[in-house]
Amino acid sequence: MKPEKILKRYGRSGDNLLAILHDIQDASPEHYLSDADLRSAADYLRLPYSFVHGVASFYTMYSLKPRGRNLIRVCQSPPCHLLGSSTISRELIKVLGVGFGETTADRLFTLEMTSCLGVCGVAPAMMVNDRVYGNLTAERIAGIIDDLRRAQ
Amino acid sequence: MKKRLDVLVCGGGACISSHSHEFKEKLKEEIEKAGLGGELNLVETGCMGPCEQGPVMVVYPDGSFYCKLKEEHAERIVQEHFLKGRPVQELLWQAPEARRIVEEKKQAPFFEKQLKIVLSNCGRIDPENLDEYIATRGYEALGTALTQMTREGVIDVMTRSGLRGRGGAGFSTGMKWKFAYDSQNEQKYVLCNADEGDPGAFMDRAVLEGDPHSVLEGMAIAGYAIGADKGYVYVRAEYPLAIQRLNAAIAQARQAGLLGENILETGFRFDVELRMGAGAFVCGEETALMASVEGLRGQPRPKPPFPAVKGLWGKPSIINNVETLATVRHIILNGWEWFAAIGTEKSKGTKVFALSGKVTNTGLVEVPMGITLGELVYDIGGGIPGNKAFKAAQTGGPSGGCIPAKYLNTALDYESLKALGSIMGSGGLIVLDEDSCMVNMAKYFLEFSLEESCGQCVPCRVGLKQMHALLEKITTGTGTMEDLDKLESLAYTVRATSLCGLGQAAPNPVISTIKYFKHEYVEHIRDKRCSAGVCAALFVAPCVNACPAGVDAASYVSYMGDGRRREAYFQHMQNNPFPIVCGRVCPAFCETKCSRGKYDQPLAIREVKRLFAEYAIEEGFGFAPPARPHKEKVAIIGAGPAGLACAFYLTRLGYLPVVFEALKVAGGMMKVGIPDFRLPKDKLQAEIDVIARAGVEIKFNSTVASVDDLQKKGFAAVFIGSGAHQAQALPIEGSDLKGVFSGIDFLRDVNLGKKVSIGDDVVVIGGGSTAMDAARMARRLGAHNVRLVYRRTRAEMPAQLEEVVGAEEEGVEMDFLANPLRVVGRGGRAAGLHCIKTRLADFDDSGRRRPVPVPGSEYTIRASAVIYCLGQKLSLGLTGGKLSLDRRGHIAVDPQTMATSMQGVFAGGDAVNPSTVIESVAQGRKAAVAIDRFLGRAGALFDKPRQVVAVQYDEEAYLKTIARKEPHMESPERRLAYPGLEASRGLTLDEAVEEARRCLHCDRVQPPQKESVAAETVAIEAML
Repeated sequence: MKPEKILKRYGRSGDNLLAILHDIQDASPEHYLSDADLRSAADYLRLPYSFVHGVASFYTMYSLKPRGRNLIRVCQSPPCHLLGSSTISRELIKVLGVGFGETTADRLFTLEMTSCLGVCGVAPAMMVNDRVYGNLTAERIAGIIDDLRRAQ
Repeated sequence: MKKRLDVLVCGGGACISSHSHEFKEKLKEEIEKAGLGGELNLVETGCMGPCEQGPVMVVYPDGSFYCKLKEEHAERIVQEHFLKGRPVQELLWQAPEARRIVEEKKQAPFFEKQLKIVLSNCGRIDPENLDEYIATRGYEALGTALTQMTREGVIDVMTRSGLRGRGGAGFSTGMKWKFAYDSQNEQKYVLCNADEGDPGAFMDRAVLEGDPHSVLEGMAIAGYAIGADKGYVYVRAEYPLAIQRLNAAIAQARQAGLLGENILETGFRFDVELRMGAGAFVCGEETALMASVEGLRGQPRPKPPFPAVKGLWGKPSIINNVETLATVRHIILNGWEWFAAIGTEKSKGTKVFALSGKVTNTGLVEVPMGITLGELVYDIGGGIPGNKAFKAAQTGGPSGGCIPAKYLNTALDYESLKALGSIMGSGGLIVLDEDSCMVNMAKYFLEFSLEESCGQCVPCRVGLKQMHALLEKITTGTGTMEDLDKLESLAYTVRATSLCGLGQAAPNPVISTIKYFKHEYVEHIRDKRCSAGVCAALFVAPCVNACPAGVDAASYVSYMGDGRRREAYFQHMQNNPFPIVCGRVCPAFCETKCSRGKYDQPLAIREVKRLFAEYAIEEGFGFAPPARPHKEKVAIIGAGPAGLACAFYLTRLGYLPVVFEALKVAGGMMKVGIPDFRLPKDKLQAEIDVIARAGVEIKFNSTVASVDDLQKKGFAAVFIGSGAHQAQALPIEGSDLKGVFSGIDFLRDVNLGKKVSIGDDVVVIGGGSTAMDAARMARRLGAHNVRLVYRRTRAEMPAQLEEVVGAEEEGVEMDFLANPLRVVGRGGRAAGLHCIKTRLADFDDSGRRRPVPVPGSEYTIRASAVIYCLGQKLSLGLTGGKLSLDRRGHIAVDPQTMATSMQGVFAGGDAVNPSTVIESVAQGRKAAVAIDRFLGRAGALFDKPRQVVAVQYDEEAYLKTIARKEPHMESPERRLAYPGLEASRGLTLDEAVEEARRCLHCDRVQPPQKESVAAETVAIEAML
């Protein structure tokens, strides 16, 4: 969906900024907010561009640079840490060939950390887009990534 | 329509991640196939709690509780259970401790002690169906409030109920509402804080996903009470399912006229909007949350003014947590008296805890306030997996603190947690076991807070960074004691001066770990050691780190993988001259930390050792005495493991020590305490001979009168390894009767060939190694009825499991949970033991459950002999009272050097702290180095830089699940028929080599070059 269309669904009130940014980012095939996106949101809500940029850069879930089609977020909370999330991270780095905050060359995956996903009962966990994977082991990682690749 | 069966499949976040959706679809398909569609309700519910067991499912009316379901189970469940009425037993939840199958959900210990109020609908109703909510008296409380109660009346009920904020601070909900009610303004707001961010807490998620209407109803009631017509739910973007279900619930409620204009025809107007966060932990702080709802950067502001006066857009607002709001309707429905009757004096009602970390049953539990930590961890949580020891529980996430084992009896409520330096927080409870390092944990939480600091105020932004840098130094072995002081003072400064709750609470994990686990910090700083085996910079491999003597198992196991027994032996001898002995009787601390255990099973390191040890003896490997010995004379008192180890390493340092042994034989407890069937005398002797030939003179039957004497005779240094050969007395009536012995006296007499008469009915008191040895020896001496009495259960026995199993196989009967009261005598001889049954009650300081007598349960066992094994103590004659003793009556030493209070006198082994062979060896070796330094030399003992052993075999072939090889045992019949026969025959050489190849080589800093080595990462994991 075009950013303009998204904007029209909201009233011109500053408290809608976070939701607008979420929607624009979700609609972006590269899961990010471009400079133009920020400007159009600022214009629409009659806010200074600097203000909108300040908000967008404050929250960790907004990205100001392009990301891959699939967002892989590894939970970094203590229960996951205790049960081996660092192994999962290492395996992801190995399988994807990129580090945290980076995107694969085929633009399919971006690897990120996230705060607690709230599924500590099945730690260690990660979320790919909106889907949660729990009870992860290093052995399962390659298979999960393969499945995602095939699903493209 | 009433259906025959209700089938509830959990649709909580954790179960979905374990594929509950796929299972449900398959189940639906099977149900249709069987033509049962009309007879049962298939419902997807919210979180049922036991996430670890997911996906889970309950079938009513019988309440069968299924767990760990997979698609392929669907057909069987439909065919067997739904059609024929026979629940599929092996898919029902197995309660671990009782090994019984939990057929009815209520019977599971996990559920037994819970009281579900907030979570009452979670896992019981379809969260996306308003009718189901209404069927559980949903929105009735709102109706009651609007039609039968005044606004003041609602606030009064809330205040009297004693409900306190479940978000963590615990402020009275009624008071909060009252303040907002008192603020005069046209526009007021109700905010629901659903920005659940405490790592390890996921109760809000469960409520939002499992029972969203209960939150909306609570908000509407709050709106009525304070005079607000608008509410916002601020929910984390990390919870997409919660957002989806909440949005659906809002739409349904609006449509049903339960939100919006003129609710229930009363003229009351209230609507709710959802606001999504965007990944900022600080937004859980209420002023930051309001900023975020307004569309600003989520930064906190100072209070006052409080939100009740100046909140969202400057208007009076209340901010309540999800759990708090979900509780409201129950209080209105059941009355404040009902609610106030639950819980403790100052903390009313129930609290939802999220159990996670090293606990068997992870998941959500709701319990009355005031339940003890021990009940929560052991009864509901099912204890610690792998029989490991509980170390601490972290409550309140990164804002909270830890509670050590000695407080397991603490009743959990706001006040008691605060008194211990922790907080309730939102109810996250992370269990830490003996493998968790508290320093690492503190660093970890600090890292979290550091990352989430919004950067507005200096103490939080800069102070936390400095604290983190200090912790980094400590965990990598470069910290100093000054760093620790600095860390602590900085922590208090940050706490006192930060702007908002995040910064004020961030130092708590550091403060509380220093409070309860200072020794771990000191260990990291002074000894450069992390005994939990977590801080990887401080050790080469978990097995080496776990060994008290630091024996390099990683190297010798690698050698053995290529069959290089000679190298393995000499590697071992650098830290422990008793591979024969330790290959048989060592409790193998190395194996308890072996990384392979996380993959399949720990390596049988001890059995591997046994093979090269025997080879060395067969081949006659040995050590030459020093060619040009130093002139100083060193005396050693006692030829036990500590004394002989000290002597052996003194020869490697260039001395010719003299050992004075009171008995006519050498070996100490290894000789007179351990029976032949566990450690054959000739093997022990061969090992002692190696030491003697290395330059040690052993003088037998030589009791040392006093240390002074030795010094006068020209010994420049003395090591006391005299052991602890006196038994702790049996403190009951009749212990002086004939036929009552201590275990160590009994075993010594038998081992030295004396005739001991015990008759046919022997009762052994105790649960340690000595008790096992005594009982098994009694069987070998011909006693038919040997019964062991132990006050706790089998799981708590200090003896090694293999010994307990060995005793059981040999026909030793065991009375667990029993305590002796008196020895019954007849004609001056023991004739029986009068006992009382015990039960395990609360926890003692060490975190073990205390046995207490059960009144009226006394009974008597017939006994021709009673052997008590209650531990040993020192019989100090030789020191002449000059040595300082510790509070338990053992020789006090400096743990670094084993130096006693007397100049030039060192001590180790049981005389210092009764323990295992390997711990005694470690102390003896340490003393040898210290003696060398005391005599003015360098103390340089095998201190070449460590080299990683390269192996030739194909490592890749062993990176798949391979069962641990267990030793070959003689049959119990043969063992009893030949009393001196060694019970274990160990492994064959081929088996030992194969077993050694299971090693994951955690000692390699760089992982092997081969790709896709899943197990390798498991190995590295263990070091983190």
